[in-house]
Amino acid sequence: MTTEGGVQYSKIAEIKGPLVVVDDVENAAFDELVEIETTEGERRLGKVLEVGNGKAIVQVFEGTTGLSISGTKAKFVGKVMEMAVSKEVLGRVFDGLGRPKDGLPDPIADKFIDINGEPMNPEQREYPKDFIQTGVSVIDGLMTLVRGQKLPIFSGSGMSHNLLAAQIARQASVVGTTDDFAVVFAAIGVQYSEAEYFRRSLEESGALKRSVLFLNTADDPAIERIITPRVALTVAEYLAFELGMHVLVVITDMTNYAEALREISAAREEVPGRKGYPGYLYTDLSTLYERAGKLNGRKGSVTQVPILSMPSDDITHPIPDLTGYITEGQIVVGRDLFRQGVYPPINILMSLSRLMKDGIGEGSTRADHSEVANQVYDAYSRSQEVRALAGIVGKAGLTEIDLKYMDVGDTFEKEFLTQATDENRTIEETLTLLWKIVSKLPKNEITKIKDKYVEQYYKEE
Amino acid sequence: MASNSALETTIDKILNNTEKDIHSNIQSALSESQQKLEDSIPKLESEYDKIISDGKKEADKIEKQIIGSSDIEARNKQLMLLEEAVDKVFTKALDQIANADRSGDYSNLIKTMLEESTQILGTSEITVFTNAKDKDVVQSTLSQFSGAELSPDTIDCLGGIIVKSKDGAMTFDNTIDARIERLKPLIRKDIASKFGVGN
Repeated sequence: MTTEGGVQYSKIAEIKGPLVVVDDVENAAFDELVEIETTEGERRLGKVLEVGNGKAIVQVFEGTTGLSISGTKAKFVGKVMEMAVSKEVLGRVFDGLGRPKDGLPDPIADKFIDINGEPMNPEQREYPKDFIQTGVSVIDGLMTLVRGQKLPIFSGSGMSHNLLAAQIARQASVVGTTDDFAVVFAAIGVQYSEAEYFRRSLEESGALKRSVLFLNTADDPAIERIITPRVALTVAEYLAFELGMHVLVVITDMTNYAEALREISAAREEVPGRKGYPGYLYTDLSTLYERAGKLNGRKGSVTQVPILSMPSDDITHPIPDLTGYITEGQIVVGRDLFRQGVYPPINILMSLSRLMKDGIGEGSTRADHSEVANQVYDAYSRSQEVRALAGIVGKAGLTEIDLKYMDVGDTFEKEFLTQATDENRTIEETLTLLWKIVSKLPKNEITKIKDKYVEQYYKEE
Repeated sequence: MASNSALETTIDKILNNTEKDIHSNIQSALSESQQKLEDSIPKLESEYDKIISDGKKEADKIEKQIIGSSDIEARNKQLMLLEEAVDKVFTKALDQIANADRSGDYSNLIKTMLEESTQILGTSEITVFTNAKDKDVVQSTLSQFSGAELSPDTIDCLGGIIVKSKDGAMTFDNTIDARIERLKPLIRKDIASKFGVGN
């Protein structure tokens, strides 16, 4: 932590959108923290985006509403934005800039860490291969989350991704180890009611004491949203790599983050990229997503579940598109299932966890996991084809085996996929349900599972 | 008479047959229900196990909720108490600083502050502001800084100086208040460690 004071400048050349241009500035540094003082004495925070020719462009996190060229002062603090971290942050609720929002004092800091983090040395990265149990069958069974993985949830506006996010945050745990587990939850640009739901949900389930919440609500200035995921990840990295905890970071909604980035880019008059987002959106997103991982010789891990709502459910939109390039798979929330009232409405045919294969099987979940998951995936895919066919020729035109697959599809959605928001299923329960679905098929249709597992788990009805 | 006895025999036969039928029906119903009862035992047992396991899950959940919220409540109370104690230490320390003797090393402190301020602003063409109590000390030290002048206006602070470039474009707050504010997180940590927190 820098303890030197900073110089305050009073020559404001221009105020444009979320940016303030300060004149006659010497010795300012890129990313340096700036304290803006209004004529009324109100203080706001910002950071230097550009310096040169005696000018500094400052991005004001709390917005520039109410600022005027005369009377506004900018103090260059001489340090980058830092987050005070210690074990005391667990069980606390902060705003989007990392200030306490629970009426309690600032936590006593153990360290002050630059919120931009330090890039992980690729050489030091350890391959993620340990299972995280979310208690949500469809995730644990078919798109297993692994410690150190980044697995986004692609959703659409109005769908139940926030319920799912809260459920994962409440239920997630590491199985088969006594290592500490923590959840860092960052809400970006969510409605007040949603923020309150997240807070109450963790508090009432008793999960708050192992969680840290960062809540940036929709009425907070959009620019704050640039900071929220960074402070959250800074805390996560500290808990993981300094205190040796396994940390699950849930960030919702990354679309709001990208919107804030677009706003700043437009104010800076940068050449827009696809749909007006800056050309560096991919690079910027990677500076967040790549903060997930495990390091050789360190005990903890940072796992990320960023949630983003796809505008118009368009998976080719720049935000999900670029996210998909960086992350290790995706969980897609389906509009059709949502309309049918299925919760969680996850479309498994569009979803995938690329690291699942390394996190399941003997020693982590169960030896038959991979095979039974593949068989169910295959059967559900076939059931969808049969449903489409039934739409044309009618049920009467289907063969007996087609009808069995149709039944498999229905059972899958009603008994496996559908889960109460407070239902925490163990991996054993999830696997039992998967076998229940497989057992609806005649044995000769089971082609992806070894005979010994079929003998052991198949129960004909 | 003969026809009567034949009728009676027929009636007896019918009664016997009916009785046999009823007996056999009762017997088969009995064995059927026994079979059903036997068959339902594993189902009942699994239902029973499910109810017990669901109940256990629910109990675990409630236990976690109770322990979690009471832990949080206790921790929050501890935090508030600690903050109260830290505030008391701060108030007392600030009081002592405000009433400290301005002779001796204090003029050296002001000199260091002025040197630091001119260096950071990059100019010695400055106007210096201080509080009424430090005015004399600052005035006497300013003679060593050409181009620096003391403002007739005083400021409200514990001690130290605010330095402004003469064109008014740059200001550097080097008051004791500002220094304490900057160092507050570190001072809080030190005070808290004296109370045994964060060690």
